[in-house]
Amino acid sequence: MARSLLLSAAFALVLGTATELRGAEMVWSGLVIAENVAQPHPIPPELTGIERPLKRLFGYNQFQVIGQSRKALQTGQEDWLATSKFFGLHVDARGESQAGYVLNLKLYKEKELLLETDAKLSKRSPLLIKGPQVGGGQLLLVLVVQ
Amino acid sequence: MKTFEEKWTAWLDGQLSDRELAQFEALLPDKAAAEAEKTEAKKLGAFLKRELGARALTNEEFFSHQLRERIARERAGESRKSGGRRIEVSTWWTIRRLLWTGTASLVVFLVLAIFVMRDKNPAEQSQYLTQILNARVDPVVSPNATISMFETKEDRVTVLWTEGLQSLPADYAAK
Repeated sequence: MARSLLLSAAFALVLGTATELRGAEMVWSGLVIAENVAQPHPIPPELTGIERPLKRLFGYNQFQVIGQSRKALQTGQEDWLATSKFFGLHVDARGESQAGYVLNLKLYKEKELLLETDAKLSKRSPLLIKGPQVGGGQLLLVLVVQ
Repeated sequence: MKTFEEKWTAWLDGQLSDRELAQFEALLPDKAAAEAEKTEAKKLGAFLKRELGARALTNEEFFSHQLRERIARERAGESRKSGGRRIEVSTWWTIRRLLWTGTASLVVFLVLAIFVMRDKNPAEQSQYLTQILNARVDPVVSPNATISMFETKEDRVTVLWTEGLQSLPADYAAK
């Protein structure tokens, strides 16, 4: 009896550990200001993986993160907020499919809703959103499964 | 004063003095029958001594015998004390079995880990790109805004491209 319990506990532990390996995908959400400047700062580490498409698609040479959030998704039903002083990006995860996480995104300027979108965020395909122009630059929203 | 039986036993064993012997034999009613009985008793004694007599043990045999007896007694005592509980405290978790169990657990863990990682990798390496299902802007705030979406297979990124959103002053770039 005790032996069976011990073996069951060991098996559960092994299974749990293995499941743990699978869980907890990390989603990074960022509010990024893209600008063209004479002396650009190095690209933030969160964006190094997508530096090339950022520069190529949007035509800027400097990218600065003004707000960010890093969320570990366990169930795919979580929601979170990435904020800067004036902007807020609310992300509401609504489940996981083979294609990725189903997300509802809302961009707020203070309390004003500027943009809303629904997307399936793939685990290896970042989502880039061109937001409003801010001064001489551009607000970009970036979501990446890390 | 010896009884007749004591004197009879002593007579059989030949331990009476001459005077006692004379007095005792004078008391016997049939000396010939008594002599015959004495002879039979001596034969019987000799037979018994020969057949049943314990062989004298040497010192080594004696100690060996004592030790065997003691071990047997201790084993019997332990069996009685442990009784049914002996099954539970049996040595199932021997070192060898522990090693086997540990190895088996590791194998199970590795198999599951490989299975899980294989399950995980196809999603990561799938051809799925992020899909934009829909998008909308507030027409009151940004009446001239337009939205387009595209994917770049080369960079594996999906882009939601907006034009005509309300422009904001540089102060809004603050962290």
